[in-house]
Amino acid sequence: MATSAQTLGSGGTAEALPGERPPLEWVGYLFVALFAVPFLIFNVAPVFFGAYVAFTEWSIIGTPEWIGLGNYDDAISDEWVWVAFRNVLFYALIIVPGVTVLGLLFALFVNKSYPLSGLARTLFFAPHVVSATVIGLVWVYLLDTQYGLLNAVIGALGAPSIPWLTSSDYALVGVSMASIWWDLGLAFVLLLAALQDIPRDLIEASTVDGAGPVNRLRFIVLPHLRPVLSMVITLQMISTLRIFSQVYVMTNGGPAGSSSSPIHYIYTVAIVRNLYGYASALAIMLFLVILVATIVQRFAVREMAS
Amino acid sequence: MTGINNTGKSRRKPVSALSRRSVLRGSAAAAGAAVSAPFLGATRAYASGHTEIVHWSWLAASDGEVWAQMIDNFNEAHADKGVQIKMELVPEEQYVTKVLAATATGRAPDFGWGTAGKGAALARDGVTVPLDDLIDEVGLDIADFSDLSVTAARYPKYDNAMFMIPMDLMSLQPEINLDHVADSGLDPNSPPATGDELIEWGKAMTRRDGDTVTRSGILMTGSGVQPTVTWGIVAEQMGFRRASDDLSMAAVNPDAGIAAMEWVLDLFDKHKVSTRDVTDRYKAFGTGNGSIFWTGPWTLNGYVGQGLNFMTSNFPNIGGELKTYFEMGGLELYKQSDEGRYKATLDAVKWISDNSFLWTTVGRGASPRKSILDRPDYKTAGHPWSVRGAFVEGMEFATIPEIPVVAGPEFTIYSGGNYLARTLEGVWARTKTPAEAMSELQARWQEGLDEG
Repeated sequence: MATSAQTLGSGGTAEALPGERPPLEWVGYLFVALFAVPFLIFNVAPVFFGAYVAFTEWSIIGTPEWIGLGNYDDAISDEWVWVAFRNVLFYALIIVPGVTVLGLLFALFVNKSYPLSGLARTLFFAPHVVSATVIGLVWVYLLDTQYGLLNAVIGALGAPSIPWLTSSDYALVGVSMASIWWDLGLAFVLLLAALQDIPRDLIEASTVDGAGPVNRLRFIVLPHLRPVLSMVITLQMISTLRIFSQVYVMTNGGPAGSSSSPIHYIYTVAIVRNLYGYASALAIMLFLVILVATIVQRFAVREMAS
Repeated sequence: MTGINNTGKSRRKPVSALSRRSVLRGSAAAAGAAVSAPFLGATRAYASGHTEIVHWSWLAASDGEVWAQMIDNFNEAHADKGVQIKMELVPEEQYVTKVLAATATGRAPDFGWGTAGKGAALARDGVTVPLDDLIDEVGLDIADFSDLSVTAARYPKYDNAMFMIPMDLMSLQPEINLDHVADSGLDPNSPPATGDELIEWGKAMTRRDGDTVTRSGILMTGSGVQPTVTWGIVAEQMGFRRASDDLSMAAVNPDAGIAAMEWVLDLFDKHKVSTRDVTDRYKAFGTGNGSIFWTGPWTLNGYVGQGLNFMTSNFPNIGGELKTYFEMGGLELYKQSDEGRYKATLDAVKWISDNSFLWTTVGRGASPRKSILDRPDYKTAGHPWSVRGAFVEGMEFATIPEIPVVAGPEFTIYSGGNYLARTLEGVWARTKTPAEAMSELQARWQEGLDEG
């Protein structure tokens, strides 16, 4: 039998006898390496290199010059860093609840079968497959103060135009609106899939027991959606803390930095000013903020669940 | 999946067809090919006695088409001479980063576009090549270039060497919509020459709906390049200097700089000839939503092409000393491991410079070459003189250059994202007073000058 097992072993390799150490599956490792090696070289190594560069002064040419915590010192006294991190907090406060609530409403809306519900699903998801640059450009035209569609509607209602992208009071809101529209698709699909996993008989039983739509939502649907809601909020939080393309295309961080974000500022520092050490330090700071925010959010959701 | 099938027969043979040895052998061959590919690609230089010069350009607008024509002309003229230029387009904003990365890995392009005064860091780090000796070697007639262009191509802090061959001289001058001029009963033959006249013209051409400006008499944006460069020009006219002549002191005569900020704010809030609500200045002027728009010669191809009825005039004297923004585009050579390529590259650049008539009549800007400016057909070639003339004649007072230090990009007035622009945005948005902004600029710029 042992001989037979060896003969028929996967990949033509010998299988271990009881008590023997299993032989290494080299071919398996080779196939894994096809992914793992590039991943280590292009994803993991740059993270460590970036962490190292954050302690240096470097502009690609030449050897990084070790300056210890100098870049972090500079970051703390750089007013634009604080502006960018404050902005991203506001982005998170607008976009994360916006995407989650609207995603849930849209998912509830198309969860039932009715004429054109398939089309509605496609339309709700469609923005997510369009690039952020295209979304940004479209929304620049929609939100234009003088000729934008949104202001045309507002004007028709007799209200004054709102400078969505050209005023420091509104730019962050304007960019957030575009971001919600763009990000909504993924949250919508995830929540719709979760909704369709709720057992039908549970819904029917609650209906028979006299539960109305609000109580069904509160006591049946939302508890079932909690894991997915937690995931949606986490993913959206991470995505929002890394907001860049919409900011770059729609306002370039202005006016007066009112819509800038950490990634946008990191981009400016690295690509425009070629300060890679400083940019790396900012990236590490952002990483820590995302890490803490994610842990806190996951903990909060777990607490609420219990 | 294991190698057992339902029939009980061994599938060993097919599996062994993909044995460890054969997979390893195939992988080694693939890896070898992948590793050697870049070196095979390096035959760009001398394969079969053919020299391929790699050129990077960031000219992507309508002027980019003319530049591509220039490169085609070179390649056509050298079709049987064994030298060809291969042009690659690189986004302007990423240009320096990509040049740095390419140089660090020994794969820099042979030459590319640069802007005078903005490449001090590249000169310091040895990324761009000093050209004085090479210029002598290839016989480029440097005496044929204007003094201004040669001075702008040098970096005083780096042996005062020339790091660029000047290709075009550019300035910011007002483009004026002639339909709006006619509507407002103004005389196009007497465009505004002073600050007061400019405001008068602006008021005459501005259209409002109640208190809201619906068409800017003087086209401005609420943030970004346009208010920044406007401030920079007016401030210099009023006597402000971003750096002293010896590059030791920042923000000379700050009161003038503060007064210039007030002048820009007045366009929005006092004279109400501009609105902060314009998001795309080029589009706004092209679609008739702005009447006077100071910009550069790179816009001519687009606006002439779309049939816009406009003229160009000289920048008015607003602050007392007639000046406008100066920018010079040129070609710079990048460090190569094989220094033998420099001469072939500069030979090519010399040919392009000698034949830059097309570039400086249809492409953009005024020629830095005296021999081209003196040609009798220089004024009649290319776009009509009514739109091109101010960009050539106005070079006389285009005397606001870049600050040639490593931190030069932080000083440039033609920017929408540098420290200057971000600081001034607070003033335009009324979240910062002009005095506060000036104090911040002074501190930051002084650091930049001290850095060298």
